[in-house]
Amino acid sequence: MNVGTAHSEVNPNTRVMNSRGMWLSYTLSIGLLHHILLSIPFVSVPVVWTLTNMIHNLCMYLLLHTVKGTPFQTPDQGKARLLTHWEQMDYGVQFTASQRVSYLLTSFYTKYDRVHFVVNTVSLLTVLIPKLPQLHGVRIFGINKY
Amino acid sequence: MTESSGSKLLNGEACQRTLRGKNAGKNGFVKNHCVFEHPRKYRRPTERSQNAAPNSSLYKKPFSESFEETPLLVAVLTYMGYGILTIFGYFRDFLRHWNIEKCHIAHEREQQKDFVPLYQDFENFYTRNLYMRIRDNWNRPICSVPGAKVDLVERVTHNYNWTFEHTGKVVKDVINMGSYNYLGFAENAGACASAAIETTHAYGVGVASTRCEIGNLDIHEELEQLVARFLGVESSMAFGMGFATNSMNIPALTGKGCLILSDELNHASLVLGARLSGSTIRVFKHNNMQSLEKLLRDAIAHGQPRTHRPWKKILIVVEGIYSMEGSIVRLPEVIALKKRYKAYLYLDEAHSIGALGPNGRGVVDYFGLDPKDVDIMMGTFTKSFGAAGGYIGGRKELIDYLRCHSHSALYATSMSPPVAQQIISSMKIIMGEDGSTLGKDRLRQLSENTTYFRRKLREMGFIIYGNDDSPVVPLMLYMPAKIGAFGREMLKRNIGTVVVGFPATPIIESRARFCVSAAHTREMLDTALRAIGEVGDLLQLKYSRRERPLSTPGWTSDESLLQD
Repeated sequence: MNVGTAHSEVNPNTRVMNSRGMWLSYTLSIGLLHHILLSIPFVSVPVVWTLTNMIHNLCMYLLLHTVKGTPFQTPDQGKARLLTHWEQMDYGVQFTASQRVSYLLTSFYTKYDRVHFVVNTVSLLTVLIPKLPQLHGVRIFGINKY
Repeated sequence: MTESSGSKLLNGEACQRTLRGKNAGKNGFVKNHCVFEHPRKYRRPTERSQNAAPNSSLYKKPFSESFEETPLLVAVLTYMGYGILTIFGYFRDFLRHWNIEKCHIAHEREQQKDFVPLYQDFENFYTRNLYMRIRDNWNRPICSVPGAKVDLVERVTHNYNWTFEHTGKVVKDVINMGSYNYLGFAENAGACASAAIETTHAYGVGVASTRCEIGNLDIHEELEQLVARFLGVESSMAFGMGFATNSMNIPALTGKGCLILSDELNHASLVLGARLSGSTIRVFKHNNMQSLEKLLRDAIAHGQPRTHRPWKKILIVVEGIYSMEGSIVRLPEVIALKKRYKAYLYLDEAHSIGALGPNGRGVVDYFGLDPKDVDIMMGTFTKSFGAAGGYIGGRKELIDYLRCHSHSALYATSMSPPVAQQIISSMKIIMGEDGSTLGKDRLRQLSENTTYFRRKLREMGFIIYGNDDSPVVPLMLYMPAKIGAFGREMLKRNIGTVVVGFPATPIIESRARFCVSAAHTREMLDTALRAIGEVGDLLQLKYSRRERPLSTPGWTSDESLLQD
């Protein structure tokens, strides 16, 4: 199995998020998640929005900031093994826009209830902070170092 | 519509040619179309179509390439496919971890659990969860000469591709659409084979030394003079391995303080050679002359990064035919740029030598240019000559320098004599020096086969990438499951194809790659096309949203090629 033989990009992971249709698929999958949560009968609408926001941020955190390296061996002698996907990418700003939209929508639907607000803000911050350029390669308390 | 932008090279704003469709013009579709196509008045699916508009004066014949864009629905479904496969991959890993499922892949021994792990098992994720499932499409053992038809060893697997067993039977006469056999010289009978046999009797098979020591045979000298004559250059040098030609010679040509401008889709051997040389590498968008010019201007204006000293040399590295896209380099424009900005040009004609051009002399011949304009002409003997190895051609001083300084000349064993003889015989046939018209016939057959095959596939509604004259035909599959399905269905219909997916290609652009050969007869191509049509209907591969001619009553092979 050859990595990157059809192009000179040694780590194809950096280009995945720029591919055509990725943004649309992302939006559709969030919509799908939201609908599934909405169809649970005993949960009220504000809780559903909060849940969507939290689950979305959790998945985003796991996929982009926890999992390290690449799922295939790259010909660059493992330069990206200790880097999370976000650090491998070229600092795309697209995803922070979606965080903001999601956060605003959730705040609106929960009618600014205090408990919900706190929960949503914390969840948003856990995803926004690792994306800051100052935190590139930083591992707090040595979590997720290797 | 396209001719209005017949402006100078510098006017990059005039033509909005971009790649990968992201900024494809303000009204949603690429403004420039192929020189032959009339302007469209209704909305068409976006196409990244490359044409000769800004410098049509440099091209003696129309240059029509197209890379039809991925339909959005297909892209979304492809991501869903990869997502589902990833989820199942994690699920299976979980089962393997808890020993519910048997783990076939190598894992560390109990005694080594406290040691630092040798491998990251995430790096193996793709291999064990995606690649293994469709692994039977690759590494198929063949047991005959890979001509137009080939025999495959039949193999079965009882544990979903983790291990294979040979049944002992042979699948005979599989139509070979995967070998790089452009002129049909992969044969075990005929003039080339007899000459190679005689040479084996005279010289043996091994050389047991390097070119610089005692491995420089007279047959190597004869080969090099012939190659120089074939290409139209002063001198040339031949090496035993094509990959090593690139990776061992680029470090000898450039070093620190030099700049290499390399195309986005260059082959791994060129990338490796560039990295080994230690030069600064800048990548320009595939076949995009505005991008290349911008890089050249920036490089010359700003000089080296921190010190701003001028670069020692600037080397532009391009290929003749890009084998995964089927596109041909815009050589006239590259040469014009090179002359204007005084850079050097390294042209890798691995797939185009012997396959393009009225006399088979490659992409320089195809465009009708002067071979002396290309500073370093590199190519391989693997594809059109039915042999192995590579060559570099250029001025005498350059080749003399390479003879002393190339790693390959100093450390690698020289080419085997029967292989050299095969190249000599096949090259003489192509040049017509053996006294027959076999070379001309094969060149013409290849060009007819290419045109026919591409036209038919387009008419059937598949998305085909690349230039209309390139014998490499990538057919887009997109979804990961279709990669495996296509390969297997074609094998059931006795046609051998090569399929390729992520991570060798960008994530949504998995493809099947056909290599048309002069050895294919019209009947073979028709059989193959019929099978591809069936599989295309079965797997719903006919994504193209272009207009198709309405009257395609099956396809009769006796229609004239000239009516198009």
